[in-house]
Amino acid sequence: MELYSPEGLRIDGRRWNELRRFECKINTHPHSADGSSYVEQGNTKIICMVRGPMEPAMKSQVNATSSTVEVNVSLANFSTFERKKRSKTDKRITELKTTLERTFNECIMGHLYPRTLISVTVQVLAQDGGLLAAMTNAVTLALIDAGIAMYDYVSGVNAGLYDQTSALLDLNTLEENDMCSLTIGVIGKSEKLALVVLEDKLPLDRLESVLAIAIAGSHRIRELMDMEVRKHGNMRLAKVSV
Amino acid sequence: MSRSIEISENQRKFLLESLKHGFRLTDRPFDHVRDISLYLSPTEYGYVEVSWGKTKLACRVTATVTTPYEDRPFEGIFTINSEISTMASMRFDTSRSNEEILIARIIEKAVRRSNSLDLESLCIIAGEKVWEITVDLNYLNYDGNFIDVGCFAVMLALHHFKKPDISINGNSIVVHDINERQPVPLSILHIPICLTYSFYNLTDKESNIKGEDADEICLLDADLLEELNRDGSLVITLNKNRELIQLSKNGGLPISAQQFLELTFKSMKTIDQLTDLIKTKIKEHEELRYKTENFKLLEASADR
Amino acid sequence: MITNRKRLSSGLSVTSKVFVRSRNGNALKIVREHYLRNDIPCYSHACHKCQEIVKPDAQGQLPKFILSSSPTKTKDGVSHYVVIDTNIILHAIDLLENTQCFYDVIVPQTVLEEVRNRSFPIYQRLRNLVKSEDKRFVVFHNEYNEATYVNREKGQSINDRNDHAIRKVASWFNSHLNTENSPTPIHIIFICNDVDNCTKAKQEGIDARSLVDYIDSLPNGEDLRDLIPSDIVLPGNFEGDQNETVFPEYYSNARIMAGIKNGTLYQGMLNISSYNYLQGTVSVPAFKKPLLIIGSKNLNRAFNSDSVIVELLPKDKWKEPSSTIIEEGSIGADDNAGDDEDDLGEETGGVVSDKERVFLAQEAMKATSSKTNESRLQPTAKIVGVVRRSWRYYVGQIAPSSVSEETGHSSRSCFVILMDKLLPKVRIRTRKAKEYLGQRIVIVVDSWPSNSRYPNGHFVRTLGEIESAEAETEALLLEHDVEYRPFSKNVLDCLPKEGDNWVVPDMTDPQDPQLKKRVDLRDRLVCSIDPPGCVDIDDALHARVLPNGNYEVGVHIADVTHFVKPNTALDQEGASRGTSVYLVDKRIDMLPMLLGTNLCSLKPFVDRFAFSVIWELDENANILKVDYMKSVIKSRQAFSYEQAQLRIDDPTQTDELTNSMRVLLKLSKKLKQGRMDAGALNLASPEVKVHMDSETSDPQEVEIKKLLETNSLVEEFMLFANISVARKIYDSYPQTAMLRRHAPPPATNFETLNDMLNVRKNGMSISLESSKALADSLDRIVDPNDPYFNTLIRIMSTRCMMAAEYFPSGSYGYPEFRHYGLAVDIYTHFTSPIRRYCDVVVHRQLAGAIGYENLDLSHRDKQRMEMIVKNINKRHRNAQFAGRSSIEYYVGQVMRNNEAEHEGYVIKCFNNGIVVLVPKFGVEGLIKLETMGDLATANYNEDKYELTFTDLKGAQRTVAMFDKVTVDVKSVKDEVSGKRRAQLMLR
Repeated sequence: MELYSPEGLRIDGRRWNELRRFECKINTHPHSADGSSYVEQGNTKIICMVRGPMEPAMKSQVNATSSTVEVNVSLANFSTFERKKRSKTDKRITELKTTLERTFNECIMGHLYPRTLISVTVQVLAQDGGLLAAMTNAVTLALIDAGIAMYDYVSGVNAGLYDQTSALLDLNTLEENDMCSLTIGVIGKSEKLALVVLEDKLPLDRLESVLAIAIAGSHRIRELMDMEVRKHGNMRLAKVSV
Repeated sequence: MSRSIEISENQRKFLLESLKHGFRLTDRPFDHVRDISLYLSPTEYGYVEVSWGKTKLACRVTATVTTPYEDRPFEGIFTINSEISTMASMRFDTSRSNEEILIARIIEKAVRRSNSLDLESLCIIAGEKVWEITVDLNYLNYDGNFIDVGCFAVMLALHHFKKPDISINGNSIVVHDINERQPVPLSILHIPICLTYSFYNLTDKESNIKGEDADEICLLDADLLEELNRDGSLVITLNKNRELIQLSKNGGLPISAQQFLELTFKSMKTIDQLTDLIKTKIKEHEELRYKTENFKLLEASADR
Repeated sequence: MITNRKRLSSGLSVTSKVFVRSRNGNALKIVREHYLRNDIPCYSHACHKCQEIVKPDAQGQLPKFILSSSPTKTKDGVSHYVVIDTNIILHAIDLLENTQCFYDVIVPQTVLEEVRNRSFPIYQRLRNLVKSEDKRFVVFHNEYNEATYVNREKGQSINDRNDHAIRKVASWFNSHLNTENSPTPIHIIFICNDVDNCTKAKQEGIDARSLVDYIDSLPNGEDLRDLIPSDIVLPGNFEGDQNETVFPEYYSNARIMAGIKNGTLYQGMLNISSYNYLQGTVSVPAFKKPLLIIGSKNLNRAFNSDSVIVELLPKDKWKEPSSTIIEEGSIGADDNAGDDEDDLGEETGGVVSDKERVFLAQEAMKATSSKTNESRLQPTAKIVGVVRRSWRYYVGQIAPSSVSEETGHSSRSCFVILMDKLLPKVRIRTRKAKEYLGQRIVIVVDSWPSNSRYPNGHFVRTLGEIESAEAETEALLLEHDVEYRPFSKNVLDCLPKEGDNWVVPDMTDPQDPQLKKRVDLRDRLVCSIDPPGCVDIDDALHARVLPNGNYEVGVHIADVTHFVKPNTALDQEGASRGTSVYLVDKRIDMLPMLLGTNLCSLKPFVDRFAFSVIWELDENANILKVDYMKSVIKSRQAFSYEQAQLRIDDPTQTDELTNSMRVLLKLSKKLKQGRMDAGALNLASPEVKVHMDSETSDPQEVEIKKLLETNSLVEEFMLFANISVARKIYDSYPQTAMLRRHAPPPATNFETLNDMLNVRKNGMSISLESSKALADSLDRIVDPNDPYFNTLIRIMSTRCMMAAEYFPSGSYGYPEFRHYGLAVDIYTHFTSPIRRYCDVVVHRQLAGAIGYENLDLSHRDKQRMEMIVKNINKRHRNAQFAGRSSIEYYVGQVMRNNEAEHEGYVIKCFNNGIVVLVPKFGVEGLIKLETMGDLATANYNEDKYELTFTDLKGAQRTVAMFDKVTVDVKSVKDEVSGKRRAQLMLR
């Protein structure tokens, strides 16, 4: 299959700079968690739930000046196209988990919740590329839903470079397997990067073009997330002021 | 239970103040790597010891013949084991902390995933027998920055290592002792080098996120004190062909895209230096070996 | 399939594509997103609307509108675009590339993907057509276009759905261009050869035509009609069975053993014909003529030089050997390497390709149509089992047509074309196919499953760029299985500790008992005569007059076995390597340099150990006495052939050494005469020497080796020594002496040559009654007008000879010891132990025979000797081929600078080409008929060995065996194999 045809169309019919279908909902689990969200980026589907701020379970997690963020990632066995059992202590999962923890530690106004624990659970239902980016978006939305104070949105997207020349935005699994993919997490409308992960080779001189399209994509995702949050907010407001 | 190393507030503030004034506690420039000393074993192939300042580790490469993975019948197997015991520092103990896993994962991405070792050349009989190359990293002393030193040591050891020669008879293979037939070096496609940058936020979080100016301090190759006090880190892995092997900024202090790009371009110079260091060291070692072991007598081809 | 489309924005909606793929026998359900859009332009200049909807690509470029606003017209003056179907592309790609027709063509995406799955090379050619823009081909992504997307209906097969999608493209273009947007109406013609599809299309209002109809409707249709490929029509009763999807399975071991026992199955080695890769022969003792194997099904996955089991076919299936040149490239060029990821269940067409079937059918028709001479039929067989594979490391390069432009990370299948032309393409999987293009790579073959057209292998390593000296040398050595890696450490331990400083110990030293048994011959005037620049001096000679008037002649050979003791690592290495290999610019040693060029080499002015044969000869070189001894000598001088000749011929030189050399020369002439009288053969081979430029070491000139008298001097005495030693060791070890024999050629080998001589040269013939008769008859075959003719016949006779081989004396009876070429009854190799392992063994046996030391058990055991002999025979052959290949390569390089006209002789005739030998370079080249003239007018007369055809200028021309012709010699690099070879063009 041609990953990027000379006519400018990719394997699923998108152009180089088009995001996949992005849909999100917040407050999906009002009873089981303080904050929850559900994100679909293309066929990648993620549920996220947040509990806290709450009393930490272990004394070692008590931080006198700021809150502690704990993230648990779980990939469902049916999430890839071949059923595969994953252990919780898989290296890849640990890395994702640590990345998310460190990212949100910086973005949450932790000094408002000293000596507390914020527990985030991320459940991946389906993987079709852009896993880390979708997880970042899901966690952002869930934290907002939980009412935890943050400086700004953290929106994530991945981008890749095809054939050393063409940058492509928002890769799916087929594309990720075949070319390098750069995942970034951008803070709000700025160009500050909270999170950068590149796996596979990318020529140094092409970094800028890939980064540029990725940042543009992140901004667009932030807009979409913001729209959904405001919509949800208005809806709740409408219910309350009856 | 691992004891975390406790740094007093005074030490912390002292470090940040000196950074604010533009110098590190060890009086190294911000973008310089520490002094490097290397030891290559003259007797066996594949054992090296690397020290960057006080951070020291030993690395050994071994090869065995085994069956390949089912879905990759024509590729060899390459694994990197890294173990940090308490010998390196009180901070690490027998249970694997997240820190360790992250270090191992980054080195693996840099060396294994980027195909720096050509796995296809390790195949002996497709689907049945392939070479399994195992790299064992033993961290001996911790003074910050295990990732860079680890990756450097792995690449040096892989260059140093030679695997035994084999001959195939139908379906059985014969592995020759190194004295019976000269061993064969590995096929290494490129040399990835990791560089870790540490970030320090001199103002508060809000102005970092909302502010326009890039006020963060950025250091290359942090030692222990600097590492414990940093607010964020970025690992850039490049090779001499100007290819980015991987980037890892696992959260931590947000930095602007502009500064980020600048850092990657700046790193090329250090990468070139370190790659050349590996190459010259290996070449020197080879020549020494040639002389001491009289290889000249064993040459088989001659010009007419 | 229910569509669940979701609208994302005004221009984009997304649906999902669900299908089932089977992998390793498991069924997997794949779900993918599929985006539908409305901003795909029609690419026509005539359309206004589409100009506004285009979007830029990743480089910021807008898509180019290519289809012309005033496209070509049919005979009836209708301007039209063409929409084309898959099968047309697959069969008539050449016609599509033709500049006389097919402009403004629309290729639907569905069709493009089908072509890619069926034949990757054709897909690449199609993409190139699109890229070049002068033929105005466009790819229209109908699958992503909202207006042309079709869903698969319930019960509809995938093929039907695709056909529907393609028809939709045609009707969409029709309505888009003609009712909406363009000023002048442009007609859409849909070309499809499938009758069913055409009918449906016509029902939908599309102008659908078959290829033939379309071509007829073009103004220049008449000229183009001949270029339409005819449908492949197989003659009715060809081979019967339809199930060609797998190769026949090999027989079980039990069945094979039973078959061999009762004589219905035979075992032998397969030889693939160098001109026809679909034909091979197997020699079995039961049949006079070798058995013929024709066609890839009968060859049944066997490689050249595999040891195979064959079963005879019934007599009505016997065929005659093909006289057509068939190269693998012409048949397998368009095959697909890979099992593509998204294989939607297409058949791959079986293991016997259609093209091959056509060729074989043509052959069969030719055989039945012409009056087949009964005697030409050869027993034909099929292969039913492989006993031993001859698989080893192979050198080759990746076929460029099987690699795509994209550089992805996933591994792909591609083809590797091997340097050895007698072997098939090998399929390998690699991630780095693109990087390896243009490099010589080493691969190993793993298996050839019965359902695959090609064997599977994997990549080992790369040698370097094609045509770089290192890569070429290494490739050559690898291909000929020559061990060229450095010696191991264990070998080092076997060498004397003093290394270069070793000297012959004091002869009077009482410590060493062996030293006492050596004879001190340092007072003899010994000298050596070798090629210029030789550093590994094996042999030296001396002569002196005895008081009784007879001559004492001594041949001294380097005493290698003093240093190479049996059962040491050094010995094992030497035994395994078997021989030194001489390439044009390199020498690969059998023993480490320390021995070969220093300690063993009989260098002048120093004492050296030697193994000597001393004769007492009379005036006529008859042997009166012979003695063998280990000795110490001191060579007085090391001459080159030329220097020795000059010295002998110079009358002013009258010192003792020169006089003794003259004695040697005189005696050598007597010896030679004696051999000639006994019937020794003097055959010529086109040996050449390459002169390199001294500064740049570029090959400059090629010279045929000249022979001086001194060459003959050394040769004669070496032969003499070999014969004497052979007798001695046979005497002591009648079961295990290492000897060398040369079997007489079987009459059948000379049959064809004699027939050709008879027919073309009026009754001349070569007699095979005895070697003397052969030699004499060869002398008589002269062409008074052409002195070279005699040499030509000698060269061709050499090829009919059997190869000489080493053997342990217990394997044959005494009469079989005979060396036909030298006309002696017993022979061995004794005089070059530095570069041949056989001589090392002979030295040890001779040392045992004279009582110098005990002979090691391994040289007294028949089994062990058989193994040693087998290995050295193989290595000897490989070394010869490697040397020849090296010369060929360098001659090829020389010819690069020397392209000119040269004389040549026709040495082989086929019905579609000839083979010409050019004496100046000693190379032969195949000239295909297509380059000489019109293939269709060719007529090959097998009985008269002549080929008639109309040449390029239109004149009638005949070439026949032995004709002298003029050829243009060019050095060309074969694009596919990367090998540089001589290309000859007939003038």
